[in-house]
Amino acid sequence: MQNVKTYSQTNIEVGQFSQLPLRQKYAIADLLYVAYGLLIVALVLVSYILGMFDLLPHDPQQIHMDMLLAPPASNGYLLGTDFMGRDILSRLIMGIQAYFLPGLLAISIALTGGVVLGILAGYCDRKTETMITYFTNLVDSFPRLVLILLVIAAFKPDIYYIMVVMGITGVPAVATAIANKIRYLAHKNFIEAAVALGLRTRVIIFKHILWYNCRALLIIQATLGMGEAILLETSLSYLGFGVQEPMPSWGNMVQSGANYFLQGNFWPSTAPALAILFTILGFNLLGDGLNNILEDRRGR
Amino acid sequence: MSAAMTQPLLKIDNLRTYFYARSKQSFVRAVDGVSLEVGQRETVGVVGESGSGKSITAMSVMGLIGAGPGVIGGSIHYASHRVKKNLLEGLENFIDIETENGRVMKVRKNESGWQHASERLMSDLRGKEIAMIFQNPRASLNPYITVGEQITEAVRLHTACKSAKEARERALYWLEQVKMDSPRLRFNAYPSAMSGGMCQRVMIAMALSSEPSLLIADEPTTGLDATIQSKIIELLEELKQDTGISTLLISHDIGVISRLSDRVAVMYGGAVVEYGSAQSVLDINAAIKHPYTAALLASVPSEQKIHEKANLQTIEGDVLDTINVPPGCRFHARCNQVTPEIREKCASHHPELIEVAPGHQMRCWRFVS
Repeated sequence: MQNVKTYSQTNIEVGQFSQLPLRQKYAIADLLYVAYGLLIVALVLVSYILGMFDLLPHDPQQIHMDMLLAPPASNGYLLGTDFMGRDILSRLIMGIQAYFLPGLLAISIALTGGVVLGILAGYCDRKTETMITYFTNLVDSFPRLVLILLVIAAFKPDIYYIMVVMGITGVPAVATAIANKIRYLAHKNFIEAAVALGLRTRVIIFKHILWYNCRALLIIQATLGMGEAILLETSLSYLGFGVQEPMPSWGNMVQSGANYFLQGNFWPSTAPALAILFTILGFNLLGDGLNNILEDRRGR
Repeated sequence: MSAAMTQPLLKIDNLRTYFYARSKQSFVRAVDGVSLEVGQRETVGVVGESGSGKSITAMSVMGLIGAGPGVIGGSIHYASHRVKKNLLEGLENFIDIETENGRVMKVRKNESGWQHASERLMSDLRGKEIAMIFQNPRASLNPYITVGEQITEAVRLHTACKSAKEARERALYWLEQVKMDSPRLRFNAYPSAMSGGMCQRVMIAMALSSEPSLLIADEPTTGLDATIQSKIIELLEELKQDTGISTLLISHDIGVISRLSDRVAVMYGGAVVEYGSAQSVLDINAAIKHPYTAALLASVPSEQKIHEKANLQTIEGDVLDTINVPPGCRFHARCNQVTPEIREKCASHHPELIEVAPGHQMRCWRFVS
């Protein structure tokens, strides 16, 4: 087959970009990514609210000894029950509680810390920069899991402690990225031109550098951070350090369900596993799509 | 006329801007004793080859020198009807210079103190009183912001038009002033969607939107197509007539300089070697001529030379090594007009800038009687 491309004239005038229909402005794939991502975010939000007000089909903690490991769609249990006869759907919805606020906490710690340190390192003198580099290298040099286990050993296996550590260990990546961006941009002509125009340093940093040049980076870090928070909790659950029973989380649901997987009772672990898969996929695609859309309009 | 009219708008006196080459443990004397004047409603062209210190002079005036030691001496008096001050006022307090035989050997500088004091001096001038346009206009516009928004930002920053709508109208007005075609359509375009010439027009609109007294144009046509170059020059010519703005025009292109300037300063090796009215400096047949200016003018291809297919004349040798500046005249190694009588003097003593005719200054031993 020959590679035939069609170019058709649309009757729009130059500079009317903002009035174009979305579909012509951006790649379809990016719009689909963002749509899917937003759907997931909406689902997560709705689940969080449902969980918060206890609007669940069943009580997630209620044990039904007569309904152990009931298969999906039996007796009003849409996704079946687990090894203690608890409703899996309710536990899935409730599980979001374990991630939502702690995840946001981790993201906000990583972003604010990263932005502050990044600006200091990128704009201040060499001494400050060296100090910050030492600090970020120090944080980076500890394996994250070891640090978390240390904190758990010192305090208790609480998801908030874990997420604070995750936030702090996320600081170096953001700080380095922002500092590099600032250092790279500081020698760009347009920043020099902005200085010559008489703009204050504050305006240049926050408006011209952070908002216009780093927002894509920050959005990606935020969406990746949410996915990472879920993954981290899951891996800690496997070690038994995640969210503790009877409080449900997707991680400990997969872990406890895994014992029955090979007996043919696949659903107790498959349902949360799929939830993790689609949620993380959603967050990552959202970040990816938003990045493409925001970066699309810049000059090369 | 009143005293304000006779007083020059910008008077640079003995400006010295040095850099430090760490690997060679020595100073790069980028600008070494430049004195210049830009009068009210006057365009002064600064011409010279690369590395002669033209751009560094402009950056020093704007207070944009970042690398150390930077500006270490001299004065820059600025006097518009709104502001009168020395842009380097009190900055010498942050600098401690040790000299040996008249040469700077050691500079101790309180960088942060200097920077803060300089920012204070410049804060109400940058963009408002002195505006600057750069070479490479595409890179001088933020690629993520529409050009309209960027001009609006400049308008809101420096003029009384504070409301968003008013400022937009004002920005549009300036886009029309710089002869942008279909300004309303371009208003929402990103710099990447524009040609270099259009970007330069946007830069000019941005610079003029605050109605500054002085415009510093640092190689405004470099990097543009020849046809676009001449259009930009035409625009600058018209704007100069319409607004009466004073301009410090920096270029290595004698053609650009000769079309726009009232007075011309020729720079070589970080110093002004000839300074006078455009006619007297750029007249190739003038009797009194600095050897460097003569060589520069001779190396411009003229119509006649192109017709005759004659070889272009070049200036022998390299640009002055600004690290190891020789003791004598900076040009003497490349000069083709050294006579036996003054040869020794040229090699050992640096000539002063002296007046050879009214309003025409020269830095050459040949014209020292």
